[in-house]
Amino acid sequence: MTDIAKNAPSPAWSLLSHNAAQLFYRLLAALLICIVLSVLSDAFLSLGNILNVLRQASLTFFIASGLTLVVLTAGLDLSVGANVALSACLAGTVIHQTGSPTLGILAGLLTGGTVGLMNGVMVTAMRIPSFIATYGMLWVLNGVTYWYMAGETIHGFPAGFRQIGSGYFLGLPIPVYLLLVFLAIGTAFAQRTVWGQEIYAIGANPVAARLSGIPVNCRLLLVYTVSGTMAGLASIIFLSRLNSAEADIGESLTLPAIAAVLIGGTSLFGGVGTIFGTFVGALILTLVLNGMNLLSINANWQPLVTGIIVIIAVWLDMRTRRSAP
Amino acid sequence: MKHRTSRSLALALVIAAAATQAHADGETIAVFTKNQTNPFFQTVRVGADNMAKSLNAKILHYIPTKPDSIPEQLSQIEDVVVKKPSAIVFIPVDYKAMVPGVEKINDAKIPVVNITDRSAGGKFVSFIGADDYSLGLETGRFLLKTLGGKGNVVIIEGVKGSLTNVDRVRGFNDALKENPGVKLLASQPGNYQRLQALQVMENLMQSNAQIDGVLAANDAMAVGAIEALDGANRKAQVIGINGTKEAVDAIKSGKLLASGDYNGFAQGCLGTMMAIRSLRGEPVIGEIVLKPTVITKDNYQPFDLSLEQRTCPSFDDASKLSAK
Repeated sequence: MTDIAKNAPSPAWSLLSHNAAQLFYRLLAALLICIVLSVLSDAFLSLGNILNVLRQASLTFFIASGLTLVVLTAGLDLSVGANVALSACLAGTVIHQTGSPTLGILAGLLTGGTVGLMNGVMVTAMRIPSFIATYGMLWVLNGVTYWYMAGETIHGFPAGFRQIGSGYFLGLPIPVYLLLVFLAIGTAFAQRTVWGQEIYAIGANPVAARLSGIPVNCRLLLVYTVSGTMAGLASIIFLSRLNSAEADIGESLTLPAIAAVLIGGTSLFGGVGTIFGTFVGALILTLVLNGMNLLSINANWQPLVTGIIVIIAVWLDMRTRRSAP
Repeated sequence: MKHRTSRSLALALVIAAAATQAHADGETIAVFTKNQTNPFFQTVRVGADNMAKSLNAKILHYIPTKPDSIPEQLSQIEDVVVKKPSAIVFIPVDYKAMVPGVEKINDAKIPVVNITDRSAGGKFVSFIGADDYSLGLETGRFLLKTLGGKGNVVIIEGVKGSLTNVDRVRGFNDALKENPGVKLLASQPGNYQRLQALQVMENLMQSNAQIDGVLAANDAMAVGAIEALDGANRKAQVIGINGTKEAVDAIKSGKLLASGDYNGFAQGCLGTMMAIRSLRGEPVIGEIVLKPTVITKDNYQPFDLSLEQRTCPSFDDASKLSAK
């Protein structure tokens, strides 16, 4: 386990096979939810609803995919939601003031990435535990965003920009294409590159990783910056999809993103998990909400159901991991 | 918009400026609002600033940094009791939990006016508010009348269990009872959040082929529902509540049917007016529950002005604004 990076591929593959088993159970769970919902609701299995679910899952996935890399290193990024809010508000302002969506998108990605980099600096150079560094960052970002927006809403964006979040190409929503692209890039990066494998190694055993010559701090800076940049990307999708942004949009985004990572089988202790698992996690969360809406169930139950799913998913992981050879 | 330009500049220079502004000398009025995130409280604050300016008084704003934080508002009250402003205009972050705080203000003999959410206890010079139930009822009635008393509607609720949401949704439901020809397909929560309302609406459109009307418990959710309808190329009449700038723009462009105005601006104005009048020994009105205004394409013009440009009602207007 300790020298994954040096001795790839064989230990990495054993890690993968464990991950593969975990993924299989998760897909099975998602499938089970789908079967139950399709029996209970005629509307569920329509193409429209399936695309609907995928598009809704995409926003959670963008935030959660960057977060997955952080969690793989045994860290946590609690600032993602607040980062989305600030990035969306700044990107929206730039689009309004320059009239250029391109500059706005750059502003959003740059804001998100810069916040991520600052998180990374706090974790590496200042040696602050990631949980605390990013928790502090959450408050700082909220403060800046509230002050900057002063209770206002930025709304009304050019039609071209709106296409990113609400447009279709060949019958599929554009966020779904983005989801597939980032799922592929994320999976390839984590599983098939040396850097990706080093991230797993850092999470599995940071001391061994350092001793085996992995530039731990550089990789950590990278994962926090990627997490921040993905929050920036999510802010662009949010802005173009909702056509507006206000200071408090982040609050409801962080916890579902963390839930998607955990349901997806990534361990908070680091070193175990996949981007694809996180996608399935985001999908399960979205299916639950979609099902409750379709069936008109009192949605007081939704947070309760989500909580139970998180607990069961992690419990199953712990059990299978303990029994694994 | 203008303030954001200047703020962008300030932000670029990394200058953190205090939000409190002093206007003139004279009495100092401490204004307590719940948070910096909800545009409604911004309208209250601008109303208070506006009135204080015209009466030559000074406003100090107290806003919890964590939205709606009970301990933070309590400690702000403790600060204010020490600083002793001339009077206080007060919105409790929680109408029950803040009663001990109000009692502290009463003990310090600082006159206090209660606005927006009625405190469950304590002594006040005056109460100025609007009620969520009649807002829901009147705005709901307007939608159902526009639909001709028939069709399929959905309700998108705010945060389950919050006082504003319970009353607004009760108003919606009573409006529905008056229109037995209208069918309520679903009542699902969007937690006052734009994104959640959009997703709820997308989901509801999957299971309901025909939705004629949407009753949303605030404007952000109403606009979120409109985005979902637009995305699916479907049409429905949508109403919201709060009368935000965004809602007024949407009414102007014909996307939103109506928004119930909670009159935050008037509440800020009148709360400050009553506080200053009581300090100056002038008569005050003990209770004003403002009539709900349903903003539609026929009457949106006065709401289309930026907050700073709006004018506060006069004392004579105040008594006429009351629903009673």
